[in-house]
Amino acid sequence: MNGTWLAAVFPHLALDLATRDTAIDDQALAITEDMRGRPVVADCTATAEQLGVRVGMTVAAALAVASELVLCERQPGAEARALQRLAAWAYQFSGQVSLEPSTATLYLEIGGSRRLFGAPGPLREQLAHDLGVLGYRAMAGTAPTPAAARLAARQGLDIDSAEQLERYLARLPLAALGLEPSELRALRGMGFRHARELLRLPRPDLARRLGPALLERLDRLRGHRPDPRPPWRPPEHYRANLDLGTEVHEASGLVFPLQRMIREFCGVLRGGDHGVQSVDIELRLREGRQRLRLGLQAPGRDEARFMTLLRERLEHLQLSSPAVEITLQASRLLPFDAPATDLFGDSADIDSCLDPVLERLRARLGDDAVSGLGGVEEHRPEYSWRTPAPGADSPCPALPHRPAWLCQPPRPCVIADYQVLAGPERIETGWWDGRDCRRDYYVMRDPHGAALWVYREYKPAPGWYLHGIFG
Amino acid sequence: MRPAPRVAPGHPLVWRGGQREHTLPTLPSGHRALDRRLPGGGWPIGALTELQPARAGLGEFWLLLPALATITGQGGWCVLVNPPWLPYPPALRGHGIDLRRLLQVRTRNTAESLWACEQALRGARGGAVLAWPGQARDGAGFARLRRLQLAARDGRKSAFVFRAPGAARSSTPAPLCLGLDADDAGLRITILKCRGHHDTRPIHLRRPHDSATTATAPH
Repeated sequence: MNGTWLAAVFPHLALDLATRDTAIDDQALAITEDMRGRPVVADCTATAEQLGVRVGMTVAAALAVASELVLCERQPGAEARALQRLAAWAYQFSGQVSLEPSTATLYLEIGGSRRLFGAPGPLREQLAHDLGVLGYRAMAGTAPTPAAARLAARQGLDIDSAEQLERYLARLPLAALGLEPSELRALRGMGFRHARELLRLPRPDLARRLGPALLERLDRLRGHRPDPRPPWRPPEHYRANLDLGTEVHEASGLVFPLQRMIREFCGVLRGGDHGVQSVDIELRLREGRQRLRLGLQAPGRDEARFMTLLRERLEHLQLSSPAVEITLQASRLLPFDAPATDLFGDSADIDSCLDPVLERLRARLGDDAVSGLGGVEEHRPEYSWRTPAPGADSPCPALPHRPAWLCQPPRPCVIADYQVLAGPERIETGWWDGRDCRRDYYVMRDPHGAALWVYREYKPAPGWYLHGIFG
Repeated sequence: MRPAPRVAPGHPLVWRGGQREHTLPTLPSGHRALDRRLPGGGWPIGALTELQPARAGLGEFWLLLPALATITGQGGWCVLVNPPWLPYPPALRGHGIDLRRLLQVRTRNTAESLWACEQALRGARGGAVLAWPGQARDGAGFARLRRLQLAARDGRKSAFVFRAPGAARSSTPAPLCLGLDADDAGLRITILKCRGHHDTRPIHLRRPHDSATTATAPH
């Protein structure tokens, strides 16, 4: 036995999911579930508790004491998905994460991450704090075995060694060991009251009296027998869903819930050592849907960067009707290469420095608004330029005698006041692609002193045209 | 008039009217006659420069091409925000500009241009941003240009803003402001504002198609 396990229990997972993104803190809300065919209160907020609502009450009784109580049916599917997401998020702290949906518990093997994250205590506190920021109330504890860590989580304990674990277990009442109700009844019938009485018994006696299953469970709890847990595997895509609970009328009201979703998502990315190049956000509105996409230049997982883009987008987003639900998804989780930074924190690669700027510009002005400039080998000036992706190379010829500005498209002009400085230069091509032309180009100066690039066209449309400015 | 006393020459607490401030790093403009007159001998780096051509297309873009060639040659980005016409790639390449380091940003109005300009200035260190914020009268007011000046300083970039000549009379936060006009002899540049003392006589530069006999040679 030489591992260290951290267990994080989410005792109020259903309630957290129902309340974590509504702005109202003091709502009287209760989670209901069916107990033998009757709806009962499974969990409730502190406000509801003050009104007299108790866990285990029938819904009818709860409504009798608190008529304004908001009821929310428990959704096991949503809880299981949330636990999956939390496992993905927790993967940033440990390479071995497993989950137990029946008890809403996550197990993290943290012995291996000790060098990275330090002692179990501070890591446990940080984890619980970070989960709190994400809107989940978690109880966490550490111990040499997963099962013991789950017990320790109830008190927020750190159990460092096997000896300490034995002492801890010995102090527990029998009911706290997490046994099956039938086993508990049988043990009580035999006169056991405390765990220490049970643990003191010789093993053959225990096996004979209680059967091998209980002995095995005790052995796992104490670390006398390995307790393999099915490891959770990070998925290749990510999808998170959030029911806003209320109708959000202004796009700015989406910043807060989306920030939480993005924070959680970035944690997941760190966990899998992934980055993404785009995040798709779908807003379900009262009528219809609206989609937005946050795009990065290179795979990233920086929350602040996503938030900058998001604020930019939301600032200009008009909701056609109130939003009720948010879905955040990313289909391709890419391997992430941390940018190389030099001694002074400047990124070594000048391209990557510009990426956040490009992203911000595109987020607000549109993808087409930002481009590079390039050219192709082509005689007709109006077809000889391109707007490639920023930083892309192009086979552009170097023509120092051409004007720095091109008027696109060429516009008819009157040359009466112009003074000819150079020319003509004949450009005549294009019969092969149906854009045949014959022109004589001149450099002329207008009365204000600007040098212009003017051509006389013979075909297809005879006349004088302004095509460039030496500016 | 008595000559100035010869005490403490170069003493940091003594400032003489004839001294030019050389605190801003500069980038040679590539036009020798201009460099001789600009404080520090070139375009300021980490500051806003305002150019006010009497009419668009007189040569204000040509004036900057050598500097753009230097900057892109060193791997710095040059961002053109809302240029009035298409920057013609073969010609720019002909002036030695590395097109891979050139970026064009299209905006819909003055507010967007100024915003894009500030974003570009605050981005990667070094390089230059050229902005044509448009002719809106109050579009590029003092406060908004001041933001650009601060962004240029933070991003250690050269920022060039092209404004209409009407703006000459209004104050500007840019440490350097040039007026541009043209005649048959070439481009006539007037330093409207710069740090420290300056000569008010115009600077003449000969553009590629100006006659060689009447204007000062650029080199």
